[in-house]
Amino acid sequence: MFKSRAMLHVELLIPETEVLSATEALMASGVFHLAAAEQPGGVKATETAVNWHNRALDFAALERRILTVMEELHITPDSPPADIHLIAPEVAQRDIVHFEQEAEPLVEALDAARRHLALLQQSTRQLQPLLGIEVDLGQLRELRYTYAVLGTLPASNEERLRSSLEQLPYLLIPLRRDGDLLVVLLCGARQHADILERAARSAYLNPLPLPEQYRGTPKEALLALQEGQQRTHQHIAEYEAEIERLRTLRVLHLRSLLWRVRASRTVTETIARYDYLRHLYAVDGWVPADALPTLQETLLAISPRIVIEASPPAVEEHAAVPTSLENPSLLRAFQSLVTTYGQPGYGELDPTPLLALTFPFIFGLMFGDVGHGALLALVGALLLSRKVPAWRGLAPWGGILLACGLCAAGFGALYGSFFGFENILPALWLRPLENTLGVLLFAVGAGAVILSLGMLYHILNAAITRNWGQLLFDHSALAGLLFYWALIGLGVKAFGVTLPLSNGVLGGVALVSGAALTFSEPLETLLRGQRPRFPDGVGTYLILAFFELFETLLTLFSNTLSYVRMGAFAVAHGALSLVVFIIASILTRKGSVGYWIVIALGNLFVIGFEGLIVSIQTLRLEYYEFFSKFFTGNGTRYRPLTLLPKG
Amino acid sequence: MGATSVVAYATVQALCRALYADLLTPDLQAALTRAPDLETLLSQLRLTAYAPHLEIARQLLTPRRIVYQLRQRLGVIYGKLIRFTPEPGRDLILELWRLYEIDNLKAVLRGIASGATWSEVRFLLAPMPHHTALPLDTLLRLLETRDMSRAIGRLRGLPYYPLLSQALPQYEARGTLFPLEISLDLGYRRALWRCIAHLPNSDRAPAEQLLGALLDADNLLWALRFRLYYHLSEEEIINYTLTEHAQITPDEIRAIARSDDLAGILPHVLRHIPAVQQVTLSQHGTLLPPGTWLPALEQILYAHVREQCRQTFREATFHIGLPLAYLILAEYELHDLTAIIESHAVT
Repeated sequence: MFKSRAMLHVELLIPETEVLSATEALMASGVFHLAAAEQPGGVKATETAVNWHNRALDFAALERRILTVMEELHITPDSPPADIHLIAPEVAQRDIVHFEQEAEPLVEALDAARRHLALLQQSTRQLQPLLGIEVDLGQLRELRYTYAVLGTLPASNEERLRSSLEQLPYLLIPLRRDGDLLVVLLCGARQHADILERAARSAYLNPLPLPEQYRGTPKEALLALQEGQQRTHQHIAEYEAEIERLRTLRVLHLRSLLWRVRASRTVTETIARYDYLRHLYAVDGWVPADALPTLQETLLAISPRIVIEASPPAVEEHAAVPTSLENPSLLRAFQSLVTTYGQPGYGELDPTPLLALTFPFIFGLMFGDVGHGALLALVGALLLSRKVPAWRGLAPWGGILLACGLCAAGFGALYGSFFGFENILPALWLRPLENTLGVLLFAVGAGAVILSLGMLYHILNAAITRNWGQLLFDHSALAGLLFYWALIGLGVKAFGVTLPLSNGVLGGVALVSGAALTFSEPLETLLRGQRPRFPDGVGTYLILAFFELFETLLTLFSNTLSYVRMGAFAVAHGALSLVVFIIASILTRKGSVGYWIVIALGNLFVIGFEGLIVSIQTLRLEYYEFFSKFFTGNGTRYRPLTLLPKG
Repeated sequence: MGATSVVAYATVQALCRALYADLLTPDLQAALTRAPDLETLLSQLRLTAYAPHLEIARQLLTPRRIVYQLRQRLGVIYGKLIRFTPEPGRDLILELWRLYEIDNLKAVLRGIASGATWSEVRFLLAPMPHHTALPLDTLLRLLETRDMSRAIGRLRGLPYYPLLSQALPQYEARGTLFPLEISLDLGYRRALWRCIAHLPNSDRAPAEQLLGALLDADNLLWALRFRLYYHLSEEEIINYTLTEHAQITPDEIRAIARSDDLAGILPHVLRHIPAVQQVTLSQHGTLLPPGTWLPALEQILYAHVREQCRQTFREATFHIGLPLAYLILAEYELHDLTAIIESHAVT
């Protein structure tokens, strides 16, 4: 739980002929993390890599064509099948062409029918304003002395069209508005037809496409148009039925083809990242130690000529090793809080369990109330149970909410607070509003313990990585911890608290550890068996070291004081609840229905608003005060190759 | 200048001034122009702010790809300015960013008309990694329709659909992309003017001054090109140009569309730009043939816009003017670099 999975450095030499099947197996195994490699097309990309990259682009284009056909046939991609096989681009291309040839004529026919219907509907709408005119449309087309065009014009072009024709006698009659378009009738003398036509065209006035067959008065033409619409509706229904038949026939094949092409693209993209030697591909990566035997077996079954070399990482390699954290499912949400800050390095202790302890503790201390805590715990349990479909995506956060809610309820019992009522439960420890100093001092004390835990973690980490210099002299390790404790001891004694250690002993520890911190750099160098160097002179070093020690002192002081906010928020929580009661008493009569409604709404506000603030403060304390003491977060996340991207 | 605008534009002001310092110096521009070959040009560009975008395999860096890579920087800068510019100025920056969307759409429409493949079109497109309704995938799918009508149909719901669908019958009848492209250009520039009109007074004045000068220049050059190169009629020129304007009025555009004495009209229309007064005359003071002076006029107009942008940087500006000025200068810089790189491609 505290350590990530043991990893092995794996180097593979794959013969050119086996590269596809070996890569497919590597990706299907779901355990091989490819070491950071040049991206395809990067500075050092070889011609082979570029070729694979281009092949991946070909697959991407094929994938889009499949998606287009699927979209045309109303087929969704669905989830990937359990068993996927790669496909050659030529085969995929052949299949896609076949599907396109089947689907596209139908889809185009349907599109054409719909466009025709839209045209008929548009013509119908455009003829509506002319309904009362008893003029033969045919005659309108055959005017001898007048040029006339009935058409649609973007409304924003009307002014320009008028402006462009201001030298001529003309008539522009807007008949109706259809969205951003105007239905207009433009008339002028036949002798100016050229000018009128050019002006109409450049203003995007599109003549209404009234087919020749619609003759007679507008009323008669409208009747003909309605009949045309009925026929087109019928055609559309036939095409849709045909498309549905094709959909049913091809749905499985198209989905399977899509996933195969996707998998093939992923495989080729991965191969583009390999190093290429003469007829061999060199692949460098990481595999969890317990997964190697199975992987070896799989690869050797593909070809005994595949060379597999595995070795545990050397300490100096640790920075490049990916880390795979292993925490129980209840702690996964805390793990994601850790990885949001940074990924633990390989060999570094995973701070998730520690966070799982301190996070709910800090939250509970600040948000102590039996009722509020129980409600949060209930919501957390509900999220974890995944019983509310809309909340399923939030299930991982249920664990955090449950733990925080229980801690808040626990502290609520200690504070004697229940939904803000301070007189229902007895306080098992103290009431923050009545003993403010007590709760603040406790918060600072708890902060000192949490910070010390962080430093102990750092010491353990340094011991695990055998970094003795860091263990002894680092500002957040042994020297720093002793310095911190000695100062706390002296401070506590100054306030009259009795400790079994004398001021002399504490002062001595502070002095020695302070000196160790001041000279940490040369001492660490000495410990490595090297001679310390002061490139800028000893004087400069001493000045810098003094200021660093001073900064350490200030940081420890401010970090500890930061935790006072835990107590302050505990007080604020009580005060805010009190405000709810005051508002309820002002607005309503005590005991009335309105009173209880205000109390309930107020409590909901406190849970939502203050809960959010307390969560942010808790995260801040964890990230900036606690993690900064021991956690670098410079590790690399373990991302094994997969045939298909997750999600 | 109100305290609120100072606070709102403080970050943008600092960011723009930092970015301004990264623009190519005149000396470096001259050196780039003199670069004997593409290799020298690339090594000089690797010493500039464009360097991170050129870190790809040398064999991939064709002249077209170099231009594409350089354009990525503009995308990054737009991203920053969109993030930091306060509303409603941000809307104008977003609208300005949309110009590249229009350019990309036009490139794809040209690809459809000419039957080009995706690999031929891909690096002609401006990289738009954010804030776009037409990401690469969509553009690819448009190109893959191989049919203008279907491609335009797929734009339904976007502001380009009404512009293009209304122009489509003309494309189908005439077989030229001109009606589609000019419809997009006009529609876009009108939207830009609308966006400027919605700005508060403190932002509107500098936006009108900078973008107005730019849009006026475009409008005037369109009118002249339509007249001299395309031989369009008066009514067509009026319909294919903007009525929205800063200093060059629709009446002046009409005069250009109608008059036979362009050399006489231009100095009057562009009376606010002294350098224009001699543009139609040869060194000996005789009138140059119409059209021969158009490239020189274009240079003068854009130099005027550049000067206005630089002037904005010389003032204390806590308004939209500074990001606009920077973006115009950055675009011009890329335009110049493109010309230099393309000249190497030709030679």
